[in-house]
Amino acid sequence: MVRWGMVIDLDKCTACQACVVACQVENNVPPADPTIDAQYRAIHWLRLLEYREGEYPHVRTRLIPRPCMHCDKPPCVKVCPVGATNIGSEGIVDQIYGRCIGCRYCTTACPYTVKYMNWYRPRWPEEMKKAFNPDVTIRPKGVVEKCTFCSHRLIKARERVRAEARELGPGDYIPACVETCPSNAMYFGDLENPNGTVFQLARSHRAFKLLEDLGTEPKVIYLSEGE
Amino acid sequence: MMGINRRDFLTALGVAGGGSALAFGPQVGLKVFQTLWGEDWVEVPTGLETRINSICQQCPGGCGITVRLVGDRAVKIDGNPFYPINRGGLCPKGQSGLQSLYDPDRIRGPLKRVGERGAGKWESISWDDAIKTVITKLQEIREKKETHTIAIMAGETRGLMQALLERFLLAFGSPNYIRVSDDLAAGPLDAFYLMQGLKEGLVYDLEQANYILSFGCDLLQSFWSPVQVLRAFGYIRRERGSRARVIQIEPRQSITATKADEWIPINPGTEGALALGIAHLMIREGLHDENFIWNNAFGFEDWIDDSRISHQGFKGLVLKEYSPGIVSSITGVPVDVIIRLAREFATTKPAVAIGLRGDVPSQMAVHALNALVGSIDSPGGVLVARDIPVPELPPIEPDEISQKGAQMPHIAQPAKEKYLLADYLPHTFLERASTGEPYKLEALFLYQTNPIFSSFNPEGVAGALDKIPFIVSFSSFMDESSQQADLILPDHTYLERWQDDPVYNLKGYPIIGLRRPVVSPLYDTRHTGDVIIQLARGLGGSLAQAFPGKDFPETLQYYFQKLFEQGRGDLVGQEFEEAWSKLLARGGWRSPSYQTAEEFWQRLQEKGGWWEPIYYYGEGERVFKTPSQRFEFYSQILKERVGVLAEERLKAIGVQVRGDKLFLPHWEAVKPPESNEEQYPFILNIYQPLVFAGLINASQPFLQGITSPAPLERWDCWIEINPELAKKLGISYGDQVWVESPRGKLSFRAKLVEGAMPEVVNIPLGVGHKALGRWAKNIGKNPLLIVEGHLEPLTGRPLINTTRVKIYRA
Ligand code: SF4
Repeated sequence: MVRWGMVIDLDKCTACQACVVACQVENNVPPADPTIDAQYRAIHWLRLLEYREGEYPHVRTRLIPRPCMHCDKPPCVKVCPVGATNIGSEGIVDQIYGRCIGCRYCTTACPYTVKYMNWYRPRWPEEMKKAFNPDVTIRPKGVVEKCTFCSHRLIKARERVRAEARELGPGDYIPACVETCPSNAMYFGDLENPNGTVFQLARSHRAFKLLEDLGTEPKVIYLSEGE
Repeated sequence: MMGINRRDFLTALGVAGGGSALAFGPQVGLKVFQTLWGEDWVEVPTGLETRINSICQQCPGGCGITVRLVGDRAVKIDGNPFYPINRGGLCPKGQSGLQSLYDPDRIRGPLKRVGERGAGKWESISWDDAIKTVITKLQEIREKKETHTIAIMAGETRGLMQALLERFLLAFGSPNYIRVSDDLAAGPLDAFYLMQGLKEGLVYDLEQANYILSFGCDLLQSFWSPVQVLRAFGYIRRERGSRARVIQIEPRQSITATKADEWIPINPGTEGALALGIAHLMIREGLHDENFIWNNAFGFEDWIDDSRISHQGFKGLVLKEYSPGIVSSITGVPVDVIIRLAREFATTKPAVAIGLRGDVPSQMAVHALNALVGSIDSPGGVLVARDIPVPELPPIEPDEISQKGAQMPHIAQPAKEKYLLADYLPHTFLERASTGEPYKLEALFLYQTNPIFSSFNPEGVAGALDKIPFIVSFSSFMDESSQQADLILPDHTYLERWQDDPVYNLKGYPIIGLRRPVVSPLYDTRHTGDVIIQLARGLGGSLAQAFPGKDFPETLQYYFQKLFEQGRGDLVGQEFEEAWSKLLARGGWRSPSYQTAEEFWQRLQEKGGWWEPIYYYGEGERVFKTPSQRFEFYSQILKERVGVLAEERLKAIGVQVRGDKLFLPHWEAVKPPESNEEQYPFILNIYQPLVFAGLINASQPFLQGITSPAPLERWDCWIEINPELAKKLGISYGDQVWVESPRGKLSFRAKLVEGAMPEVVNIPLGVGHKALGRWAKNIGKNPLLIVEGHLEPLTGRPLINTTRVKIYRA
């Protein structure tokens, strides 16, 4: 069985945030504005985290792109009273907007704070609606949304390979963030395929996961900086 | 969109027909229904899905893009995997490009000013009337035989568009093409000129370097071609065999410093001194590349000229004046660190030193390090990009009036004795425009530039513009400068127009990208190239004949036809194709992937561009255009320019050093004469974050949304100060703080960061617009307003980071 996962090599990452914007464009995330942002209600399925350690001049800053971890043991799924948050057979943690009642248990349960409540009705100027990605729905006010590993791309990739009468191969399905990464710091693929890049990278001595101790078993794996 | 049913939605989603809707039923189905339940009736684009290759223009970087279209709508921009600048990657600006195309505040058609200048009262007019207005004005000027009184100010423009603008001026009879470029993004171009005799083509072969020593160049954020550097960074870290080391020397812990192996904080403005300290140690320990210096350099040792006068060389000067102890006290960098850097730099080859376009002696000091390690014109070092072929346009035959006009002095050319190394300067232009000396300007055209925002002195610029009776802006957006125009003839955005994009990559290869419309123009805008041609035709005579095509696209095809005829290079291709064409070229062969000009044009559109992927090392006359035809530690170009200047002149332009030292890399404190350290104890350090480098993207909300990881800081501007300092001054995180320079004060939100030196106040540049649409106007502040704008004594270019400030709670 396929298990989709992502590897982010922090040694190659330049913190440019192209992934952040690519995600918003791909997934029809409405642009924030000063008010929404100041209320901490802006939506970023993928965002950059900043950690600073030490004191001048021995300062270490870590900049970490953070998508949904697509945990194998997702705490958000456990707390959802209506089965809106679920985990698919290939490991993608998804949000079924139609079931979501906006209770926000999951936003609280997620230790990585990847879940975003739509506090407002999403709004775009009329002109910008032209850029909507038809593959991704618009979320109404009152539901929670999150990174899906661009699962709509998986659906399309399956369609395509079926039409071409072949199996899904590496590179057929890549989320928007990985596709744009200018320094090739992000990798995506099947964590179970021993010949694949992510399988091998996930076993690197530099590999670590965020808040691993919590037992969430994330499928986003980071590679640490330095030699 | 009424009457839509589930099936329509599924068709739009591209999942109807097959069984896949079932396979992924729950998610897709419900997502669709959810939209139906919601209050938002969203018009989902329908139609065939296609992809078109073009070139990004959110910055001058020149990345190839692939735009995904559904029907006639552009819905996503990605990198073109074939394109050699970016190989499929894009930066956040490239990603947010659709917010420029679909910006609700775009100018939708030609506008004529009705109220006072700058009052923002406009009236729509037709293109015919607009063009007639300009023609009438230009005819009047011509009748008065004052053709030289028109000028075009253009931003980062290149290729055919620049050629057409210059051609228009020449044929009309004016010398006044003023290019405004971004100095923060350029490398040490003045040193490149003084030491190698070249004005352009400076590239760093990062992909093959093993040691990158950056003197304040925020490579990962504000380099002129960001994705190239980002891609190279990923490559040298992990993709090739050995991992390159990156050392960042600068007063602020920038993103580059964060991502480097080591950040070396340094007193602001002393980077050049550190470079000389490193040079001192390398020479003292015999670590310099004697071979390179013997064969390719001039002025390293002391020397005797033709008239038997002996001169000091670089070696003598550096050994005498820049011992580690002295350098350490200037720079604040500990002696042991200087020693370590020198040894690492000299022994981890190939090594490369990258600087900024700051004061000239410091630029030279940094660039000299490359010669010391033999990293000039060698893999992993400084390369000189090969010429991009310039397809010829037919000759112009200006009549007598035009010839006379074109020979008038350039309006922006400063007096020779004022700045020795300046051809023309935007700020000289503005001074001249306001004084009316040596002549008054009658008309100004603004193309892809917004001088009011990008200048230190917006009131000054506005005042100068005020003196020009007729201003035309070609901007697609209502920026600060366009607000002062009399007529706006809006251009298409880059996603709606044809254009060539000549650029070189970090390997020094010439590349010409093809920008083509991915959607038809949304509004009643017009390609500025077309407008220029229409103006020329309307004016008639020799002007009309100066333009070979009836419109821009035709001229562009003509241009590529000529490129085809030159028989060079090939269409851009993948990396293995690069290796293949290199192999062929070495054997003197060429096997382009097209036979005829038609095929070339056709496939050019599919692939996205042309290139010639080869670099020849050791072409001495190409890489050293100095009098000695060598790398000049001792700049004879500078000596010749200074030449006859009398003592008092040197004093007047603020050059303190005398004798041979003046022509050698050296360090002198760039201290503004009036600086008062007691009253203004801190140094203002302005930096350009990636998203706003180039100063044109602030109107795009996705970019405003990522200026800082902290939501409270976004949509605003902040100062970064050291927490200890903040404590002393009683400032806490988020406080409003006054930053006051002798020129004025502005308040900013305080951000306390450990990566700030205690004596430095850092402020990002890019927000603080007074125009440019709903997401930019009145968001944040523009720190340039308190910068003193001291001018580099030799080049006359403003030095951005020499201002002293004080800070206190607001
Ligand atoms: S680097 Fe410049 S050209 Fe490349 S994607 Fe970014 S904005 Fe566009």
